[in-house]
Amino acid sequence: MARNPSTDPPADLLGPVQGEVSWFCCGTAWGPCSSTGKGACGTCNSGSLQHAWPNASDACWSITRPDRCGVNLSRRTCGFRHRTTSLCGGASVVTTIADCGPQTDLFCGERSCCGSTCANNRLIDLTPAAYSRIASLSTGLRPCEIATG
Amino acid sequence: MHGIAASQPYVIALFLVWAGLMKLLSRRMRAGAGHTALARLAGPARAVPAFRLVALAELAVAAVLLLPPLLPLEAAAAAALCAGFLAYLVYAHVAAPTASCGCLGAHSRPVDLRAFARAAFLLVASLLAIPADPGPPLATLALAEAAVLLALSAELDRHWLIPLRRLLVRLRRPLAAPPPAEVPLATSLHLLYRSPAYCSASAQLTTDVQDTWDEDGLRFVVYGARERTAVFAVPLTGDDPSAVRVSLVREPTGV
Amino acid sequence: MRSRRDVLKSAVLGGGAGVVAATALGSLGPEAAFATTSGPELEPGTPDPDFVEGRIRSIKDNTLFVLGSNMVFHRIRVVDGTSLWKLGPVPFDQAKPGDGLYARGVRMPDGLLAAESVWLNIVNIKGHITNIKDQTLHLDHNGKEVLCHVVAGKSVAIRSDAPPSADLSMLKVSQHVQILGAWRPDTNEVDIATVFSPH
Repeated sequence: MARNPSTDPPADLLGPVQGEVSWFCCGTAWGPCSSTGKGACGTCNSGSLQHAWPNASDACWSITRPDRCGVNLSRRTCGFRHRTTSLCGGASVVTTIADCGPQTDLFCGERSCCGSTCANNRLIDLTPAAYSRIASLSTGLRPCEIATG
Repeated sequence: MHGIAASQPYVIALFLVWAGLMKLLSRRMRAGAGHTALARLAGPARAVPAFRLVALAELAVAAVLLLPPLLPLEAAAAAALCAGFLAYLVYAHVAAPTASCGCLGAHSRPVDLRAFARAAFLLVASLLAIPADPGPPLATLALAEAAVLLALSAELDRHWLIPLRRLLVRLRRPLAAPPPAEVPLATSLHLLYRSPAYCSASAQLTTDVQDTWDEDGLRFVVYGARERTAVFAVPLTGDDPSAVRVSLVREPTGV
Repeated sequence: MRSRRDVLKSAVLGGGAGVVAATALGSLGPEAAFATTSGPELEPGTPDPDFVEGRIRSIKDNTLFVLGSNMVFHRIRVVDGTSLWKLGPVPFDQAKPGDGLYARGVRMPDGLLAAESVWLNIVNIKGHITNIKDQTLHLDHNGKEVLCHVVAGKSVAIRSDAPPSADLSMLKVSQHVQILGAWRPDTNEVDIATVFSPH
């Protein structure tokens, strides 16, 4: 099994981390989402306040690999609470881990800005219900701050 | 039929040797064993030993196929192995539709029609090899069959299919289009999202875009903001987020 | 009589009747920015009562009758201030039976959702581009092929924090992208609003 190879302490142990937030669908759904399923935790639903986390298990980490983008994140498992705060306006939502994702390494170095504040790398994906509490779904991708909820 | 049956063992053995060596030697494949359908079937902890066992079976069958004399029993063993592959693919498709098969190399794509076609092709080839065939192998036939099997192998796409498609895209430029007459709304919205004006007002916004229109070199974008209306003026030219203006207005009445 | 657009235009350009907070350039003052009233915090992990997911079964007057994918029925009231999105802002008559939707609003005591925003057929999918043909990206999304059509005048590509481009010809086969777009109901096809790519 792939282990977390970085020796640095996880960035989110010391305080909130900044990164990009997007949204994904899960659970019973229409359209291209219909094949997604209930996520790695078996509980994921688009209408619930949930999120995907890149370090939900060893197997999950070996897929998402945020360390390849220079970000080390703590192991947090199904049901763990995170607060995601929009860097644009300060709206926030508390959600629980329900899936593995996003695939941080495939978007390494990507950057989103709001005003003069920017954040790098995809660190969290919210369900549509959760994302639409802090931004419009049509924005697709926003900078955010992630803390423990 | 002269030579057809005699050609099949070489084609089958080529693929079995490839599959066996990849399972035994590829570090990437071992690392990804947990994401394959075999891990679902045998359990994640037993995925790697199960892969080694299958690899040894593949290499053993390949060896007996290549070493003369060719007996019908050897071809029957290959057919049984290929039938097993096909059954495994059906299992993977049903029980773990998002998992990869882990057949001939490390890749993350789930089992698709090409994987089924390849396994079926190998099964038919093994069945063709069962009758005794005194004729010499047909090199052209064996090469053609190997080419078909290689083309059906998604594991090799990155070596030929993707470069070929990239080349065709470069030559044909299928996305080339004249610049649009109007600035796409998404362009203005992206500038808006990056602006200090939007950042300061976004906590007030309760809807997505309600209305938008262009006037005097500006694109006006209207959002609902609780009992009020937020109206932004975004320049249609330039890329300066600080040039975006905003106003929060009590919804006009009697207009 | 001045149109609503004229009133709003003069408000943002020169200030006018009813302006609560405005800027010539730049941001609003902090009192406007943070004058928000946040509702009670919901239990994380549970369904959000002010959010609806499903497909439109029928439309009567200004009400959408929606069957959730979890087989729960919802009534959604669309009013003048409701925003509707279908590859961009659209009027109410663009909502059709069969459309998928997400909606956010305020749940009334009788169970009706008074919608603030309705997003019709919106999808936000990630995957590898497997081929590019005839203004169409073939996307491998979770092992399924999704055909993503470029719509002239609407589709843009955003590479990291660079300005969006209406020219999508920089996209490459095998590249990993996120596509925000509008699903064509009952097909595996999507019209592209935005393609996000890291480089």
